[in-house]
Amino acid sequence: MRAEQKTASLMAGPYAAFLLVFAVYPIAFALVLVFLQWDLVTAPTFAGADNIRLLVHDGRFWRAVVNTFVFLSIHVPLQIVTALALALTLNRQLVGRSFWRAAFFLPVVISGAVVAILWSQLYATDVGLINRLLLKIGVSPVPWLTDPRTAMPAIAVMVTWKNVGFYVIIYLAGLQYIPRSCQEAIEIEGASAWQRFRYLTLPSLLPQTILVVTLSTINGFQLFIEPYVMTGGGPLRRTYSVVLYLYNNAFAYQKMGYAATIGVALALIIGIVVLAQRRLIGKAEAL
Amino acid sequence: MPSVTFEHVTKRFGDATVIEDFDLQVADGELLVLVGGSGSGKSTILRMLAGLETVTSGRIRIDDRDVTDLAPRDRDVAMVFQDYGLYPHMTVRDNLSLGLRLRKIPRHEIERRVTWAASMLGLEPLLDRKPKALSGGQRQRVAMGRAMVREPKVFLFDEPLSNLDAGLRAQMRIEIGSLQDRLKTTTVYVTHDQVEAMTLGDRIVVLADGRIQQIGRPIELYRTPVNRFVAGFIGTPAMNFIEGTLVADGGRMFFSAEAARLKMRAGTAESSEPITLGIRPEDLRMDFIPQQPTHGSADFDTLTGRVVLVERLGGTSHVHFQVGPHRLMASVASDSLPEVGHDITAHVPAARVHLFGGDGRAIGRTAEIV
Amino acid sequence: MKQLRRIVLYAGLSIAAITFIYPFLWMASSTFKPPVEVGSLALIPHDFTLDNYRTMWARAPFGRALVNSTFVATTITLAVLVFGSMTAYAMARLNFRGRPALNAATIAVLMVPGQLTLIPLYTLIVQLGWVDTYAALIVPYLFNATAILMLRQFFLQIPQSLIDSARMDGMSEPRILFTIFWPLSKPVLSIVAIFTFMGAWNEVLWPLLVVREQNLMTLPQLLTVFALGGGAGSVGVSLASAMVLVVPVVVAYAFLQRNFIESMAGSGIKG
Ligand SMILES: Nc1ncnc2c1ncn2[C@@H]1O[C@H](COP(=O)(O)OP(=O)(O)OP(=O)(O)O)[C@@H](O)[C@H]1O
Ligand SMILES: [Mg+2]
Repeated sequence: MRAEQKTASLMAGPYAAFLLVFAVYPIAFALVLVFLQWDLVTAPTFAGADNIRLLVHDGRFWRAVVNTFVFLSIHVPLQIVTALALALTLNRQLVGRSFWRAAFFLPVVISGAVVAILWSQLYATDVGLINRLLLKIGVSPVPWLTDPRTAMPAIAVMVTWKNVGFYVIIYLAGLQYIPRSCQEAIEIEGASAWQRFRYLTLPSLLPQTILVVTLSTINGFQLFIEPYVMTGGGPLRRTYSVVLYLYNNAFAYQKMGYAATIGVALALIIGIVVLAQRRLIGKAEAL
Repeated sequence: MPSVTFEHVTKRFGDATVIEDFDLQVADGELLVLVGGSGSGKSTILRMLAGLETVTSGRIRIDDRDVTDLAPRDRDVAMVFQDYGLYPHMTVRDNLSLGLRLRKIPRHEIERRVTWAASMLGLEPLLDRKPKALSGGQRQRVAMGRAMVREPKVFLFDEPLSNLDAGLRAQMRIEIGSLQDRLKTTTVYVTHDQVEAMTLGDRIVVLADGRIQQIGRPIELYRTPVNRFVAGFIGTPAMNFIEGTLVADGGRMFFSAEAARLKMRAGTAESSEPITLGIRPEDLRMDFIPQQPTHGSADFDTLTGRVVLVERLGGTSHVHFQVGPHRLMASVASDSLPEVGHDITAHVPAARVHLFGGDGRAIGRTAEIV
Repeated sequence: MKQLRRIVLYAGLSIAAITFIYPFLWMASSTFKPPVEVGSLALIPHDFTLDNYRTMWARAPFGRALVNSTFVATTITLAVLVFGSMTAYAMARLNFRGRPALNAATIAVLMVPGQLTLIPLYTLIVQLGWVDTYAALIVPYLFNATAILMLRQFFLQIPQSLIDSARMDGMSEPRILFTIFWPLSKPVLSIVAIFTFMGAWNEVLWPLLVVREQNLMTLPQLLTVFALGGGAGSVGVSLASAMVLVVPVVVAYAFLQRNFIESMAGSGIKG
């Protein structure tokens, strides 16, 4: 229809233009930037494979990548366990169920910047809330954010705390889909609570678990504001994240080509990690 | 002057031709019914007339005005949809009046028309409800009211009753019929329900694969279907068919098939091609006491078979019986019925027999149309 | 036995809930405490004071940042709703030549991590001369592929006969969208609205890149800069500035709690 074609292009045309300018062009230009040196002031110069070579040998970059994996190795399992435990608890007949749900969800809606500022205080060595509580039970203060061994785990725990409510909702939604008849059948079989969890609930929640793993992994690679606010990447660069490094290259050092190279590399790493995780979970499922 | 004219209308979706070279004239004030199997293109034709679907080639006129390229709102037609298409978030009153408000009709005139339609359809007590709070039949009425208040040149109905249960459907069918009698608005009505087609239509158009098979008054289609498709499509229960050949014997024509030999009317033309004989279940008359060897019978107007199934519908019953390889069905009064496994004799009145050639076209009846 | 298990269950839940709520309560109360008290666990300030807020307000343009954040987040949300549903309507219910390509492109865009396009987008903004403008904060967010896909999915389920009826009644396509589809799409519209507003309200990395001028900073950005740059000077002041960001969200959350939770779940299930 002529008229329909015209109306449609008026309605969808702006979006198509937007996609070209703010999605297609940046993706293409990211790949171009990899081969450029550009400080945004002088004209860009062709750098050949310099950026790539630099990246491959850049200890700071790889430190940030390793840091991210340290973060993920704590954050992802912890996120699954806490979210699952809370979801199973909330899935019972509870008085004030929506209150509990709302309580756990509260940090999700709060800005990451606020959470980071707040937790800097909670983690503070001398006056921090956590150490004061520990002191009450006789544990000596831990320098959470200033000890290279505890800094990243501390951030991972905080991010888990911030996001858990979100994943609880996902698991709760998944629990709705386990058919009543299955639950009744397995109860008639005489399964214990653990067996019910192991053979019915956990396998039924596999799609949600995959989602939690994928989302929390992607989220982990985006780690930025927490180290930016809480540690500046220290101590000993142990909380330096890839995005923070990317940001500093662009913003502090004005190295656009290199920053874009980091972005492309990060996108590749995310793709590989997410695919590998899916493979692994698929294999575990097949066993 | 015809009210609606289709001229060589063709419609393609991508590569698929759905309607081909469609020609039709609908007379002023006529109720024309479009019937055909699923996917035959009924809705497409109606939607092209409404302007909801473009025409690939050809022209459509309403009252001699070429509307082919006009938007739906400029065509002066109103449509009732199968699932009604009522706006769920608006009251019945708003549903009825929206089209008028959008056309900037004066307030008092809108008021008058809504009141008029509501009273005709018995909707007055429902005007301030939303569609969700209405029964299926009431929603149907609102959909009709919405078309009526527009006072259009042409009404279009696309299977308006198919979402209703049987009883309500019969009632609404009668209401639509009497409404049309009073309003005398040209109407095109799509259905796949035979009974609706036969009872409502001034004329019926039978479609198959986007082509017109036959146009005519309901009784013409019933009595003299022009081809095997129409014969099988019009009439419930459906016509029986037997494949065979025509043979001349002693100056008379006989229809001959395995386990069946029937005398044809005088004047039946000779033919060497394979023939299909059609006879309606209600035209078969039955004897439960099998006459002796019918094949030897001089009259050759009976078939002998064994009852395989009896469906009792109440006043009438369907008796299914097997004649050699042919499965036939007769519709008979339920007073006395044969039992399954018994042999019966069915009289086949030569005057009620339909013959179709190899291409499916009716043969040999042309002289007899009454 | 059963009784005991219930008690254990509720006790455990309460402790868990406290770990989620207490930090915020402590934050709120700390902003009303003089510096000496800040370290204490108590929620009721001994010496109630508004000094932290006075200092915070005097040292950085938080009022201005509140206005900026509200303006930016509201504009983005309205745009995503209006432009997004126009796009989604065309993609779901109108036939046009580029439709399959547009669908495919939308899905493809969602697969690309934001980190990849961050720098090229930043250089684009610099080249457009948009650094330190509202345009830099708003324009790249005017359309949202996730929102468009969610809306499109919903619009696909609305019966064709409603569109047909509306066309017969003489409505234009935008009118059908806004007077027929919108009232029927309230659930998904509110999900998209909340989701978009929260994202825009809390975003901090992008503003940090494209805005340097204090008067144009959004709340999370100013808060970060203020806290990091030592402008706050004390914990109480720093937390007081965080309150400016938190209070509107918590108030909205209290009213729309259910919608908030469902909208986040909805966005996650799309994943
Ligand atoms: N938008 C479309 N795109 C492609 N093909 C279509 C479209 N609309 C209809 N068709 C095809 O056109 C043919 C005719 O469809 P139409 O809806 O007119 O049939 P119908 O006679 O109304 O059938 P039914 O009794 O099932 O409603 C069908 O084969 C259908 O698949
Ligand atoms: Mg149809």
